[in-house]
Amino acid sequence: MKLSYIIREGIIGIKRSRMPFMISVFSVTIALLVVGLGVLAVDNSLQFIGEFQADYDLEIFLENEATPFQKHELAAIVKDYPGIFRMEYLSKEDAAALYNAEFGEDVLSLLDDNPLPSSFRITFEEDHRSADYILTFIQNMNELDGVDEVIFKKDLFNRVQGIMQLVYTVATVTLFLIILSTVFLTANNLRLMILARYEFIETVRLLGASDFLVKAPFFLEGGILGFLGASLSVLLIMLAEYCIKYYVHLDLPVKIIDHPEVILGLILFGVSLSSLGVLKAVRKMLRFVA
Amino acid sequence: MIRFDKVFLRYDTGISLRDLNFTIEKDEFVYLYGDSGSGKSSILKMIYMDMFPNAGTVDVLGSDSSNIKRRDIAKIRQRIGMVFQDFHLLSDRDIYSNIALPLELQGIKNDVVRSKVTLKADELGIRSRLSHYPHELSAGEQQRVALARAIVNSPDILLADEPIAHLDEKAAAEVVKYIWKIHESGTSVVFATHNESLLKKDPARAMTLVSGEVVKDRQL
Repeated sequence: MKLSYIIREGIIGIKRSRMPFMISVFSVTIALLVVGLGVLAVDNSLQFIGEFQADYDLEIFLENEATPFQKHELAAIVKDYPGIFRMEYLSKEDAAALYNAEFGEDVLSLLDDNPLPSSFRITFEEDHRSADYILTFIQNMNELDGVDEVIFKKDLFNRVQGIMQLVYTVATVTLFLIILSTVFLTANNLRLMILARYEFIETVRLLGASDFLVKAPFFLEGGILGFLGASLSVLLIMLAEYCIKYYVHLDLPVKIIDHPEVILGLILFGVSLSSLGVLKAVRKMLRFVA
Repeated sequence: MIRFDKVFLRYDTGISLRDLNFTIEKDEFVYLYGDSGSGKSSILKMIYMDMFPNAGTVDVLGSDSSNIKRRDIAKIRQRIGMVFQDFHLLSDRDIYSNIALPLELQGIKNDVVRSKVTLKADELGIRSRLSHYPHELSAGEQQRVALARAIVNSPDILLADEPIAHLDEKAAAEVVKYIWKIHESGTSVVFATHNESLLKKDPARAMTLVSGEVVKDRQL
């Protein structure tokens, strides 16, 4: 029955203080909107920058004389090398087809024999994608039989990686500051909301409510508040994406709908921020209420 | 039921209560009489553990103020009814919800709450006001609502802090009459007042306070 009191009081509390509640929902919405847009802006920026990078990190060209057995051995070695995310084999025929697609000419009609070598295209895992690591890899590959040449556009790679790192670092610091100010602003706003309920808290304490029974309905109210605020912020982000697509004619590569983990993260952040913020405010007030 | 043992209470502005030693037994009706600032409210606050003595102990319903835990204070308050001169009613709730609150806090079933609230409202003559809000009631009616709320869970003790201070003569007389009625049904009452005529009129124990000291304890 006490549970029914907590639920009822939590919902009644919202009805009774509609205006402060709405203001708090609005403040959580704005705060999470800024956080959500920040995350999306960073993701999209990294995606845009990443497009300057080739589809693969480097290409291992094989000697024309390499036997199928050597190719098979090489493929096994490369595949098992730590940090390899993807490996794609391009036969001589594939290379000719690519040449044809890129330059519009059939290499076999120009020359009697196909001079293009077969190759492996390699993409590294994100946490192994550093110039030092890749250079060591190249050194190891060059020592293997059947390898003719390894092509790695180090300058472009380094530049893109550098920009991405910079964007990532600046974005992380900025997002951290945004989240920090969000926490402070929301907590302050929630404290004002709770301050307006001093009369209720004081009265129920006098009537014999335990601290738990005082806090629990507010905790619930905070959770509802955070859920509504976060859900609204997600809807507004979707609306912003829609507006960017239809009015700015820019189709963002990363959208919030494609990332349920971001939606879930925002909602969890909103719910915990609000419910814990409310709880902290009530706990603080209870220090002044005997 | 209530025992003050060598109690001293010091405010920042100076000593408020000094060397209080008294016991209030079960079923007793006690007037705490004194001028404003004499320490009546401080005594009541120590009984419901809103204040704690700087020296000495206050024992209420078997719990000692010197080692009581916060959660036990809540339990004691469930056994103490309180009325104040400014009523302490929740302005955003109707009268029914105000009276029902102590029962709801104890997790009592809705139908039991309803019957108890209705019964007390009947006894105090405010049944027709249950759907109203406090600001729609007269001061006398509001104090009766506060009384109904204080006794709806049948407390062992009723503390009344200047309950008639803001009431006209007729309303005050009614409230006092109800408090006596509550006492007659077996509740101990501690009634703080600065109204001397009550002491003359009512046959009850009366402790007179002057500057934080009990200068007279009229026993029956």
